[in-house]
Amino acid sequence: MDKSNKKKLSGFERYLIEEIGVEFKACLYFFCILFFYSVYKLVGGSFHANIIYMAEMILLTYAMCYVQIYLLKGFDEGEHFGWKEFFFTMLCGGIYTYVSWLGGWFDQNTGVTAGFFLYVVFFYFCGFLVYKMKRNLDAKMLNDDLKAFQERRIKNE
Amino acid sequence: MKYTINQISNGEDEVIVNYRTMNPEVERIVHFIKREQLRLVGWKEKEQKVIDTKNILYIETVDGKTFAYTKDNVLKLEYTLTQVEQLLNDINFFRCSKSMIINIDKVDSLKSLPSNRIDAKMVNGEHIIISRTYASEFRRILRKGAQHG
Repeated sequence: MDKSNKKKLSGFERYLIEEIGVEFKACLYFFCILFFYSVYKLVGGSFHANIIYMAEMILLTYAMCYVQIYLLKGFDEGEHFGWKEFFFTMLCGGIYTYVSWLGGWFDQNTGVTAGFFLYVVFFYFCGFLVYKMKRNLDAKMLNDDLKAFQERRIKNE
Repeated sequence: MKYTINQISNGEDEVIVNYRTMNPEVERIVHFIKREQLRLVGWKEKEQKVIDTKNILYIETVDGKTFAYTKDNVLKLEYTLTQVEQLLNDINFFRCSKSMIINIDKVDSLKSLPSNRIDAKMVNGEHIIISRTYASEFRRILRKGAQHG
């Protein structure tokens, strides 16, 4: 390994990786919420979406992603879904539901808002499974590269 | 490539490499010789020992002291981690955190962890975490090494 090839990431690069991760996650959660909102509007016979609500949704998901990463230690990407992860899921679900109620996204309809809470909990759990699957695939690739690296070196020697 | 092997009755064993321009083949031979020659001197309970770098699993700094870990030994080294990193520059050692260098050849398996960290399971069963600061570079080295050697 040549020394010129070895370099650790700069602070800015680390920040950029983190920021892209947050934005990716925020977009993912935003689309989940938007999907629920769109279905709610369609079922109600409306083909119009409120752009202010959409702005509130994206800002909320963006803020929540920061909370998840820095305050709740990225629980949605955790190794196991235990009690702590369950509690944080409920907490985040509660915050989303409360803001949706305050913002009147679902016209303060109790049944729909309760359904929204369950939906948020469900997509958090799905997100946890997706991240777990992603890590398993990543581990497989890492191990393939490791074996190829070690075999190549043995062959060269 | 032409090569000559001579048996000598006295004097030191010696390898001479003659080349016109450095090419991957010569580089591999030089790399192999360097690797074979490289030894570190360490201490174990006031006894000085020489360790073959091939047998080192990882090197760690604890309270300002540097230790090399093999399968059955822990030796205190007289170098700082940065000095060791420079000494082992050409071979399969990777700085995986502020206080640790691992031997990639002694990694048994890898596991992807949240926040882009990697759990490296060594051949002796120990787990070493490659921090996210170094994980991207580790992935790059593995990929590059797997492709080009």
